[in-house]
Amino acid sequence: MKVSSTCKSSKVALLSLLVFFGFAVTTPVKEAASATPAAKTKAKTEAAAPAQEKGTAVAPKLDPTDPNSVIYLDTSGKPAGIGDPNKPPSMAFQAGRGWHPQALSAAGLPRDRYGLIDWAKIVREKLVSPKFSLNPQDEEMPPLQMNVLIAAKGDFVDDVIYPHEMHTYWLKCEVCHPGIFVPAAGQNNMSMTGIVQGNWCGRCHGKVAFPLTDCKRCHSSPKKAASKAK
Amino acid sequence: MAKRYFIALFFVLAVPAVSFGVQAEIKLDDKIASMHKAGVGPVIFPHAKHEKVYKCNDCHPKIFSEKRTENNISMKFNMEGKYCGSANCHNSPKAFALFECARCHTGVPGAKK
Repeated sequence: MKVSSTCKSSKVALLSLLVFFGFAVTTPVKEAASATPAAKTKAKTEAAAPAQEKGTAVAPKLDPTDPNSVIYLDTSGKPAGIGDPNKPPSMAFQAGRGWHPQALSAAGLPRDRYGLIDWAKIVREKLVSPKFSLNPQDEEMPPLQMNVLIAAKGDFVDDVIYPHEMHTYWLKCEVCHPGIFVPAAGQNNMSMTGIVQGNWCGRCHGKVAFPLTDCKRCHSSPKKAASKAK
Repeated sequence: MAKRYFIALFFVLAVPAVSFGVQAEIKLDDKIASMHKAGVGPVIFPHAKHEKVYKCNDCHPKIFSEKRTENNISMKFNMEGKYCGSANCHNSPKAFALFECARCHTGVPGAKK
């Protein structure tokens, strides 16, 4: 009697185990099965889009007579005009000729790994070389060759090397000093949370300059303390 | 007799609980001193949110060890493409970017908690 009862109880336990393992195993599989097709199609469309972009970047088929050509699209992707310079200007022209991302991608400009156009690289490789001033009498001022090491506040994040060179290529000193940054090393109590909210570097980066997506683009100088701690 | 049912009940309740790995939220605060220097609070990782989109073996054990103490997560590693910043994760166009401090860290202006 005793033997049979323990036998029975172990059977019950085994059965319940089997049932609930089955339950536990099948539900995630079902969820996964329903999740994967969507993910696959998404991946496919994502894979298809860059391929298309690349295709246009390598061999841009810009037909000036075609009003649907990317160079005639406005910022919303609609045809901005009819492609005929003799006809009256389009709405986009009147709105100040908004630049259109698709035309930029067709121009094959260098991009970083996040798909963002790398304007600094464009300048360094002299793909564009804007004049210093519209006034021919203005004397050209060479960019300031001065890198500033800004220590990251956290112990584990690499320090920032701030290049004056690229910034003074585009801007004059008064744009940043002393309004945004006090011109003295260590006197600006910068923080990443503040920058994200649009203070300090965030006054431009994320708005008119490259966004904060690529941390390593600024946080590039390894921290010695952190490397020791590893 | 009652004992038998109790044992059965134990398996009914305990086995699914273990196999589902019910992990609603995990608090990550082993680098709290450094976090405070940077002006942010600990991270609350919403496991349930990630479970909805990914299978366990998408992240475990390749990206994150299942043992909490074995993951030396830091922003430096995230930036370098490890842990949260792995390919197709928060250092790629597929998920929100690493600079959005307030979406993971608590105690940041703009954070939910």
